[in-house]
Amino acid sequence: MTASGTRFEDDMVLVKRRRDPFLILLWIVLVTFALVWIAPVVLIAFTALKSNAEVMATSAFAPPETVAWSNFSGAWARGNFATTFTNSAIITVIKVPLGLIFSAMAAYALARIRLKFGKLLLLFFLFGAMIPFQVMLAPIFTLVNGFGLIDTYPGVILPYLAFGVPYQVFILHGFFKAVPKELSEAALIDGASHVTVFRRIFLPISLPVLAALLILDFVSTWNEFAMALVLLQDRHMWTLPLGLMSFQGQFSTDYGQLNAAIAMTVIPAVLVYMIFQRYFVSGLTSGAVKG
Amino acid sequence: MAMVQVSGLRKSFGALEVVKGVSIDIRDGEFLILVGPSGCGKSTLLRMIAGLEDISGGRIEIAGRVVNALSPKERNIAMVFQNYALYPQMTVAQNMGFSLEISGMKKAEIEKKVADASEILGLNPLLQRKPSQLSGGQRQRVAMGRAIVRDPDVFLFDEPLSNLDAKLRVQMRAEIKALHQRLGSTIVYVTHDQVEAMTMADRIVVLRAGRVEQIGTPLELYDHPENMFVAGFLGSPSMNFLRGTIEGGSLLLSGGERLVLPSVPRNAGGELVVGIRPQGFAIGTQNGAKATVKVVEPTGADTHVLADIGGTEITCVVNDRVDFAAGQEIRLSISAAQVHFFDPVSEERID
Repeated sequence: MTASGTRFEDDMVLVKRRRDPFLILLWIVLVTFALVWIAPVVLIAFTALKSNAEVMATSAFAPPETVAWSNFSGAWARGNFATTFTNSAIITVIKVPLGLIFSAMAAYALARIRLKFGKLLLLFFLFGAMIPFQVMLAPIFTLVNGFGLIDTYPGVILPYLAFGVPYQVFILHGFFKAVPKELSEAALIDGASHVTVFRRIFLPISLPVLAALLILDFVSTWNEFAMALVLLQDRHMWTLPLGLMSFQGQFSTDYGQLNAAIAMTVIPAVLVYMIFQRYFVSGLTSGAVKG
Repeated sequence: MAMVQVSGLRKSFGALEVVKGVSIDIRDGEFLILVGPSGCGKSTLLRMIAGLEDISGGRIEIAGRVVNALSPKERNIAMVFQNYALYPQMTVAQNMGFSLEISGMKKAEIEKKVADASEILGLNPLLQRKPSQLSGGQRQRVAMGRAIVRDPDVFLFDEPLSNLDAKLRVQMRAEIKALHQRLGSTIVYVTHDQVEAMTMADRIVVLRAGRVEQIGTPLELYDHPENMFVAGFLGSPSMNFLRGTIEGGSLLLSGGERLVLPSVPRNAGGELVVGIRPQGFAIGTQNGAKATVKVVEPTGADTHVLADIGGTEITCVVNDRVDFAAGQEIRLSISAAQVHFFDPVSEERID
């Protein structure tokens, strides 16, 4: 026992000596950046749990002495969160899956169905991703107004879809192109239609990409501000970021409640991330074809 | 089971024509192998039969039905791909039952058919595994199982053994042949490996640059190659070609050496090419044409001797263990009962 124990320790020393200095450097960089990124999160979390008096009295990074849960209920009521939260949820829950389905179908068609102007169409889609949406804000307002959709859910969902689809098509097209063509050919010979190939073969094997896109799209839709500001004038149609902005204006001195509001805005995105990140498993196509 | 008739088939990719008017009648229940070097159009031809490539010209009939404009699923064919192309997220059983499921077959019936096919292929213990948990040979067997359950008119194999190691290839070769004998189905099989073609086929189609060079049974092609390409393609090691003129029952090489021939063609005027299989030489020390040993390759069962005769490199296969040294002079004579004569310009057979 003793002998083997010593040998084990010797091995440990050996392993320690072999540490690559470059790896250590990487670790230092990683930790530094992690601290920089975690700092505001900690700040928000701590401040959200402090009473206003404590916020003023203590350091920003000191943990709360007495946990003021009332900040959350207070912010929820004062910031009209019941309305803005519902609006955000409705818009996001409709837009994100719908956009992904459209993008995936478009990407499949562009990648796997022989079209006469396929390349041109793809270029057209990519072109959509190249226009900064700020430039389009005024025209979009005119357009949406022309349809009489200002202050309605379709009025924001449709422009969101239009701006979300191009980059999703771009990413999914790249992924679908990389799927071995024999896989879809085998399915076509097996009697599958393109709809079946798409649904039964391509969607299951692209789960990691779809999960990544879903998270990205959820976060960006949930947090979208500029377009919502232009298209949603009526307070009762406001989304969370708009509510948060007005909250900041109205109660700028109540930092506890403000940070509680921010935390409540962020939490759904974090939850979605945690739920879907488990689909980020690599190698879903492994075994399909000889590598 | 069905006949497949291919007539005047053409395929162009832009200006490049890769299949140039191919006509083949594939009989009911026949094991037909398309063989040829890379880029000869054999895979394209198979994919056209499958309906995965458009047809630029000509006609394909399966079971008496013109299928030119039909989609792959309407042709009632099954295909086994070189890289297996298994559905990665499905189990072996789901992979095999996929086509039946799409066709709307009842679950119990699918299970029965899958069980039958997996029984034939020895896949029973693997039915619940995913493709990623299988070895190469097992994957290829699943791919074959997927084809069998459908009970198609024609099986199409696109170089199914190319990704397997040498030992497994030999084993699978025998399995596929046994499977064909058991099912009695029509099989069109593409390979670039002439050994596969020789050992498995009922008939072989040798393709070169999009044209059919010769169609026949393996031994017909081996014994009576129509031209130098077919002669050189089939048989391992390849046939030796010696250029020279016929003089009194023997071949006079340009270097002045003489080889006594077992037969001569009827009209043997001028220069011609004689094709001699590597097994058709006898190596001696006294009689025959002078040759210089270049390399000796023992394979265990026999020995390959690469030698230089009058400036032409030839390969001889001898059954004995020989210990020639490189550079050693030997005497070669022809022991084969049959040699082949070809026109040096057209490369066609002369009888």
